[in-house]
This record gives sequence, C-alpha cells and structure tokens, in this order.
Amino acid sequence: MAVMANPRLIGVLERYGAEDVTKCYHCGNCSATCPFSQEPFLFPRKSMRYLQMGLEERLKGNLEPWLCYYCGECTEQCPRGAEPGETMMSMRRWLIGQYDWTGLARLFSRSAFAEIAFVLVIALLTGAGFLAWGFTRGASLVDYQGFIPAADMHVFDLFLGLLFVGLVVTNALRMWWLTMRGERAPSAGPWLYLKHLLLLPTHFLTQRRYGECSEKTPWVLHMIMALSYLTMLALVALFLHRLQDETWQWPVHVAGYLASIGLLTGTAYALSGRLRRRRTALKHSHRTDWVFLLMLVYIVVTGIVQHVLHRLGLGGAANIAYLLHMMGVVPWMIRFPFSKWAHMAYRPLAFYFSHIQADAMRERSAAGAAVAAQPTV
Amino acid sequence: MMDSVRIGVYFCWRGTSSADCVNPKELVGYAQRQPGVCLVRDLGLHPPLSPKAYQKEIRAKGLTRIVVAGDSPGYYKPTFTTAMMEAGGDPGEVRLASFREHGAEAGGTLRAKAVLACAVRGVPYGLAAVPATTPVHPDTLVIGGGVAGIQVALEIADAGKRVHLVERTGTIGGHMAMFDKTFPTLDCAACILTPKMVSAGQHENITLWTLSEVLGVSGHPGAFRVTLRKKARHVDIATCVACHACEDVCPVRVPSEFDNGIANRKAIYTPFPQAVPNAYLIDAEHCTYIISDGKKCGACVKKCLKECIHFDEQDETVELEVGNIVVATGYDVFDARRIERYGYGALPNVLTALEFERLTNAAGPTGGRIVMKTLKQNRRTKEDEWVFDPEGPQPASVAIVHCVGSRDNNHNPWCSRVCCMYSLKFAHLVKEKLPQARVYEYYIDMRTFGKGYEQFFERIKEEGVFVVRGRSAKVTAQNGGMTIRGEDIVGDHVQEFPVDMVLLAVGLQPAEGTGELAKTLGIGRDEDGWFHELDYNLDPTGTERGGVHLAGVCQGPKDIPDTVAQASAVAARVLRSIVSGRGRESRDSVSLAAIEERARELAATL
Repeated sequence: MAVMANPRLIGVLERYGAEDVTKCYHCGNCSATCPFSQEPFLFPRKSMRYLQMGLEERLKGNLEPWLCYYCGECTEQCPRGAEPGETMMSMRRWLIGQYDWTGLARLFSRSAFAEIAFVLVIALLTGAGFLAWGFTRGASLVDYQGFIPAADMHVFDLFLGLLFVGLVVTNALRMWWLTMRGERAPSAGPWLYLKHLLLLPTHFLTQRRYGECSEKTPWVLHMIMALSYLTMLALVALFLHRLQDETWQWPVHVAGYLASIGLLTGTAYALSGRLRRRRTALKHSHRTDWVFLLMLVYIVVTGIVQHVLHRLGLGGAANIAYLLHMMGVVPWMIRFPFSKWAHMAYRPLAFYFSHIQADAMRERSAAGAAVAAQPTV
Repeated sequence: MMDSVRIGVYFCWRGTSSADCVNPKELVGYAQRQPGVCLVRDLGLHPPLSPKAYQKEIRAKGLTRIVVAGDSPGYYKPTFTTAMMEAGGDPGEVRLASFREHGAEAGGTLRAKAVLACAVRGVPYGLAAVPATTPVHPDTLVIGGGVAGIQVALEIADAGKRVHLVERTGTIGGHMAMFDKTFPTLDCAACILTPKMVSAGQHENITLWTLSEVLGVSGHPGAFRVTLRKKARHVDIATCVACHACEDVCPVRVPSEFDNGIANRKAIYTPFPQAVPNAYLIDAEHCTYIISDGKKCGACVKKCLKECIHFDEQDETVELEVGNIVVATGYDVFDARRIERYGYGALPNVLTALEFERLTNAAGPTGGRIVMKTLKQNRRTKEDEWVFDPEGPQPASVAIVHCVGSRDNNHNPWCSRVCCMYSLKFAHLVKEKLPQARVYEYYIDMRTFGKGYEQFFERIKEEGVFVVRGRSAKVTAQNGGMTIRGEDIVGDHVQEFPVDMVLLAVGLQPAEGTGELAKTLGIGRDEDGWFHELDYNLDPTGTERGGVHLAGVCQGPKDIPDTVAQASAVAARVLRSIVSGRGRESRDSVSLAAIEERARELAATL
C-alpha cells in the first residue's frame, strides 16, 4: 500500500512544542546514547525521521514516544541542537490528541483560549449547579452536611468517575487500535497479551521504567505524586462519607493527610523544576504543563482549607471552600483524559504493548530468516 | 538619473561580532542621506522572513531597488526577492550590503558605510574600493614551516627572491612530517616531504628561523618591519653534526611532541631523524642543567666533541624588513578529552588520529607495528604505565570514529574535510598490516570529495572494512577491554560489541595563538577562528591588509593537495607584487569620500 506523507507534519508538531526537528542529520548519536533504546524500539532518531518525512500514519502507530522518559541525554549530546528529547515530548502531546476520539485534546493543546474557557465554563457550571441544588432543596449554606450531603456527593463522585473511566478506556482502546492493529504492527495472539499482563499493574503503580534512568530523584517524586494521587482518588470515590464524618476516622484521615503532603511535595518539585529549568527535560514548558500543575495546586490547597474549616466547626466557610474545591475538581477530572496526565494510562499500556510487539516480532523473525548479527558492509 | 531610482534600505542584524563594531544609528542616518533612498528600516535582530511583511510597503513606495544590509544579509535575500517580485518590481534589483564579509569587524562603522554606499549605487564594493599601490621590498616573510610554508618559500626562492621562513618549533615539516601515508595515493609522506624540507634548509635564498615567533609587525604593505623572537636553541646549528652523543647521555625523558606523546625523547633532542635544520636542541623547560642553574648534570657538554652546546645562549630579538608576509600557521587538532564519552585519556587503547599516524609509521616508536598498549612498570618511578611495546599484542578489532569534535554544535560546527579520508586510510593501513583484524568505520556522512577519493572509498569497502553509517555514541571499559556502542542507521540496529582499539578522527581547529597573530598582523578571523580571506571565491589568499597573504589550513581546513596548490598561488601573488614593484595598500587606506566618488562613476557607466 502506498505510504502517505504529510509535508506539514513538522508544522503541526511544532504547535505541540517540537523545535528544530529539521536540524537533525541522522547521525544516530541519540539512539545509541539512550539508555532505553533497545531493539526493536530504537528511538528517538527514527521518530525524528518519520517526522521529517511526514509519515503521519506511522507516527500514530508508534509506541516509542511512550517508552522515552526524557532524561535529556540525547538532547545534551545532540551535535545539531535538534532537541530530540523535546521532540519525543511533543509527540506524546500529539499522540494524546490522536488517541482521543472527541477531538478536545487536540483543541486544548493548540488553543490557550479553548483550554482556559473550557476549564472556566465547567468550573462556573459546577459552582452554579451546586448552589442551585442546595438552595432548591432549601438547605442552609451554613450547614456543612446539609448543604452538600456526603451521600449525594458520593453518587456524584461515582458518576464523575464513571465518565472519567469511560473516556480513558475508550481512548486507550483507540490507542490499542492504532498501535497494535496498525498496518505495520506484528500480529500478536491472546497468549502474548496474557503473558505480559502483569506488567500493567506493576508499571502503573511503580513507574518502574522511569526508575531505570540514571537520575533517581525525579522518579521517586513522580512515584510519590502518582501514588498520592491514586490514594486521594480512591479515598474520595469510595470513602467520602468517612472522610467527611464528624468523628476522627484515623485510617482514611491519615491516608488523606499523607496523600495531600505527597501531592504538595510533588507539585512543588515539579513547579520549581520548571521555573528553574533544572534539567534538560524541563527547559521547555508547554502551556498545558503549567495549567495542569497550577490546577492541581489549587485543588489540593482548597481541599485542605475545606477540611481544616470543617474540623474547626466553621460550616459556612467550609462549604464555600468545598464549593471552590469542586469547581476545580470537576473541570480537572473532565479535562484529565485529554491532558498530558492521560499518560497515567498510556505509559503502562505502551510498555505492555511494546513487550507484546517485541515477542511477536521475535516469533515472526524466528519463523522467517535469521537476523544477521553482523553489521552491514 | 537618480530621480527615477527609488531605493529602500533594510537593516537586518544577526548578533554577530561585527554587529558590535558598528553603530546602527549612525548607519541608518547615513543610509537616509544617500541619493535616491526614500525608505530606511532597521528590522533589528529578528526580521520577519515572510515576503508579505514587505510587499505592501515596496509597492506603496514604488521602490526600484532594495538594499539588504547587515552581516551575511544573503540569508534574507530570498525574502526580499520574492517581495520585490510580488510587488511588481525587478527581483534582480535586490542588493546586499554585507558588512562582516567586507571587514566591518576591523573597519567599524566607516567600513560599513562604504559597503552601504556601494550597495545603494548598485556597484560591487570590491570594484569601488581600490586601494592605492605602494613600492615593495623584495624580501618575503613566511610564518609557519609546514608543507604550506615550505612550498611558498621554495617557489619564491626558486624565482630568485629572498625568503625568511619562521617556524615555532625546532624543525620545519609541520604535521605532514608526522604522517605515515598520504591519501588517496598512499605515498609515504616523509618520502615526498623530506626532500622539500632539505631543499628549503639548504636554499641560498631561504633563511630559516626555527624556534622563532613573530612578536610585532609595523610599517605598511610593501615595507613591513617585523620583530622576531628567536628562542635560545643552546646548540649551534652550524657546528652540530647530529651525532647523538649528547642524547645518549641525557638522563631526562619527556613525552615527544613529534610522536604525540606515544614515545619519549630526551631533553636534548632532534624532533625526528630527518629534522631540518639537522641539529640538536635543548628543551630548557626540562633540562636538568638549566633548571638547576648549572648546579647539576651538564653531561651532554662533556660528551660533545664539536663543543657546540652553549647553555649561556639567550633569546634574541631580530628585526627584519620585508615587503610581503605569508601566513601559513596551519592548525591544531581537536582535544579529544573534551568528549568524555569516547574515553580518550581514560582508556589506554583509545587513540587520536595523530597518535595512530605515529604508531603505524615505520619510523615511529614501534617500527610501524600496530600494537595495543601494554601495562609496564616504569623503572624510575616504579609505577605501572600504559606504553606501546613493539612486541605487544596486536588488535583483533579496530573501530574508527569519524567527526570527533567536528560538525558538532557543542564543539566545532564545521566539517574538517580531511578526517573521512584519513580514516579510510587508517582502515586500509590496519587491513594491510593485520588482514585478520575487523575494522569498523563509524561515519555520519562520507565526504570523499576529491580526485580519486570516492574510488579510494570503494577500494576500502572491497578490502572488507565494515562501514557503519551512524555516529558512535560511547566507548566504555568492560572486562578489561572496551565496548563501543553506536547506531547502524542503514541496518537499523544499535550495535554494542567489544573492540581492542578505538581511533578517534579528531577534527582540525585554528592553531593556538591564531588570535594574537591576527591582532599582530591586523587581519581578520571568521566566525570559526580561521583567518579571513579577502574574497572566498575570487581572492582566497589575500587579506584585508594588503601585502599579507594566507596559505594552507590557517585559512580553513584543507588537505595536502589543496594546501600545496594554495601555497603556490600565494607565491605567484607575492612574486607579482615584487616583480611589478607595486604592492597593494590595505583597504583601510581608501577614504569613504573616494569610495563614494568611485562608486558614483562606476554606477554611471553601468
């Protein structure tokens, strides 16, 4: 089948943060330097090549951007200043847009206005909705449990969670379709899917591969942040009534405090890193990076304030803080599957898929001719 | 005529060094006062590259000529050509005022004004700014005794004119004398160079000034006064017969510069047996007698039958009068230590190109046997050292890494031109001496651009060398040996395998002291540090300062054939000025008013 080339592909990727892609002269230094670049997934040079040639379809089915953790080695050593690391980063942003069937991810990455307007409109709708809901029931704003009852919130949270999961799962399915069922993907039987299944949860929880980078601090903080986030998500979705109970519920509360501290530490580290451009990977920050970090800080801080006010017995103030908190949470949760944070799902999946593909390719080449071990002459 | 001409001047700056040497405001004012100019715009550092940004204005003003002014303004020319065409003007009427290229770095705002005046009138600067002629002293100074300097000196001397050949080290010959073979003919480098060295040494018209450096130059083209510092050699060249009796008794051992540190020499030594002048010299920095103020050693003096060793000899200052100066100072190689991941300096069997040249040279420390370094105890210091032992083990696999320090924005962005070919030559030499060895060439692009070079490449491939397209990323120590890792782009593999020896094809860079010499001579250097020629295409040997000429690599990387050709061209230039008795003044001597006047005259005839 003919291969379609999109000559404007670099221009498209530039809107996602790619820079200087055309400078690359394919010396292969980056792929040889990369600690993760192993056959059959050699990157970033090949991805740079696809980009230069405008092979859009091939890039869509490319797992390699997800296997890169942007340690920055390739960019530091690049003799041309072609920023291969940043290109991989921009490809991840672009791929999130490609996996997303709603088109919102593409819109948000490209347009600051659309992103901020979306967040603000959802926030205002949420605020207005909660107020309308409380007042129509005749509840008093001063009554903490009365105005926003935990039981009703629980149902709302579950609904929100369902929406969130639905979006993530459908996008993940599209990712599977593009990467595993693409023209160039080797066909893999169910046994291979089963064989590597354990990779998904372990990688999801530990981000094991990130830990293989030479610098460990970013990985540790990333894991703290991810685990805190998951803890918080579980607490709110499953134990909301216990969290908001008037009595001291030490298992959920201690877990909640730890998660809050973890989230604050993680975001503070990420923000300061981006502000100070601490590593090569943090030299370029896309707008969406900032919006998300700032939203997370907002949500954590309003959450803590809400909790403190509640414990102090200031029901009215706590309710207002809670309202402000929810005005951050709802847009965040809806925005999440279209954002860079969707990597939470895509990275473990890509790691899982890459193992399946590698095995499938090995099977295929074992069946066919043996691979020449010697370098080409 | 000027009424019908409507000129727009656009200043596009590029943040280069000459931009600091000119005053943009003054230039804008000057441009506005030029005849026919009806629009001047200073576009700053980041002019829009879209022609649309200018079209409207060009049409509205009805411009018939556009002058793009700045450093390397050719970069913006396509933009303005398109804009001019879209606006209905003549796209051929986009003129460039290239400040840096015409020496604004040295000449400042005044030079930039002159360049601008010519562009506005549509006249090439070179035609309008013609310096006056001066009478010429018949002697010539050649700085640098490598193959370029020797060639220039011989050409001029053979024509019957006097030449002073100045060389910083103790012998002429330069880098070429160190090489084993030349590419692509595989001639023995010493066999073709040493006869020339001897001719230069014995020529009645050539005065050799070894161990000498140019301290200062005064005067003007045609009549320069040059001050040389002649360092004390401590051995009388006229009486020394190079019998090596002194060397035999000298107790000091230091790494030999000529052998690039892979072998030792004494404190009294000749750089190599065919050195010219063929006399010993004393390295004052290491000689025990000199360091101890005559309290210790002195063994060589007692042994010297010719009594030609003079420890009391002092540095001298020499004054010369010459009419022309030829700069042929050559290059230094890139310091491979700067790229740590190749392990040079840390891993014993990672060698630079020049080290390998000496290793494979039949006159080198191993007699041309290609061996790996072995750990041996130094008898004096009792420490283990990695040394080349002629009986040492021979490598079974050799990797050659191209573009070390070249074509790399982190180091030297330019292509050094010779490394691809000398790397292929190395592959051949290894294959010739060790047919069983596996040889890998890691290259980015194979630049075999000269006569017979591509055929040489084909021949190397037929010899069974593995030519891998891809830049090797790192060399690491493993199990007492080394592994090299790199991507094979054509074969789509990342390779990592053990090798016994790694050769780094280090690039060329301007020689140490190039900056000071440029200042002394009053000539410019380009962005990369090489001396700046007057015109890249049509005057590659001339400089801004009339009477100062360039030959060889000091003007830009080139191989031996090109160096020799350029050297002969310089000789012709020098002889022309001597024979005609008219040298060319430097362009600084032409006043702005004279250039404007001349440009006006020329414009009228065009």
